[in-house]
Amino acid sequence: MITDPQLDAAIELLKTPPALSVAARVMAEIRQLPRHSQTEPAARRVRWLTWPRGVSLALAAGLAALLLLPPPAGPRNALAPGAAEGIAQFVGHFPGARTVEVVGSFNDWSRGVLHLRDDNHDGIWHGAAVLPAGQHEYMFVVDGERWVTDPLAGRFVDDGFGAGQENSVLIVRPAATRP
Amino acid sequence: MVTDGAPTDVDVVARILGGDGEAFGILIRRYEPGLLRFATRMLGNPDAAADAVAESLVRAYRHLAQCRDPGRLRSWLYRITGNRCRSHLARRHTNDIPLSEAPAPALADGSDSWMALERSEQVALVERALAALPAEKREAFVLKHVEGMSYEEMAVVTGARIPTLKMRVHRAREALVVALEAFV
Repeated sequence: MITDPQLDAAIELLKTPPALSVAARVMAEIRQLPRHSQTEPAARRVRWLTWPRGVSLALAAGLAALLLLPPPAGPRNALAPGAAEGIAQFVGHFPGARTVEVVGSFNDWSRGVLHLRDDNHDGIWHGAAVLPAGQHEYMFVVDGERWVTDPLAGRFVDDGFGAGQENSVLIVRPAATRP
Repeated sequence: MVTDGAPTDVDVVARILGGDGEAFGILIRRYEPGLLRFATRMLGNPDAAADAVAESLVRAYRHLAQCRDPGRLRSWLYRITGNRCRSHLARRHTNDIPLSEAPAPALADGSDSWMALERSEQVALVERALAALPAEKREAFVLKHVEGMSYEEMAVVTGARIPTLKMRVHRAREALVVALEAFV
């Protein structure tokens, strides 16, 4: 009969770390990768636009939505998308939030690049960006610490780290293909 | 796990994201022993465990900016490693891992002979018993009793609910006792 003290002794044996190390192998591999600050600056791939006055949105409470719109015209939108780019507009309802930003595969998941604005202080945060055409994953980061999946993104993918957490997915169509 | 005077995980992550890639070595030294132990107990094979941990650490470096809470970096690293181990086990098309090649010692008396076993034989015997557990129970047992995690942290690592994890640990303890008795 195995007793609890014997089981505890077995557990202690399992705590013995294996005489292995992968440190040299891992460091050699990551030295071949670009350093994080040496990756392509997000600003080259993502250009913020000022919010077009002509766009109006009706949002229900609690709604967080992503809209892909044709390029807005007007002098406030000096950054027109190139042929292989499109405009993504991000909208989220975060009453009481101090900051809301968007991080995603298009900016190396870096914070401090794409901040949304709530000029009317009504809890509706919005912003727009020129992004490369194609599929991107993204999340909202509220108050610098709370990562929020856009519930109305339409598509979601597992974040790849297990635990069932998901990233939102947006697909940006190239401006050249829009009617 | 940060000793006095050592930079916190948050500080180290900030250095790496700021371009100091060599600072990743601090995180490796800090978490490699536990991750290797966890992967070895999960996979039952040191070589496979080394591969899983190396792949996980490189993946963690590449996606470090995606770490949503650097203050809970340990949980994030275990989650990546656990995910890698589960993928490895799935590729084997079975949740069972090979038993250690070390022979199971035959003992006449459970208590006295147990204490008389050489340490390496004891380890081999316990590893065989652990290997007999289903992967989910084995994972829960190792995270709780070997890695010393709270149930809250285990939930982050595994994605399972806390009541589920408590049941898995309980069942694993029962099954491990049975398995040890079978081997002894």
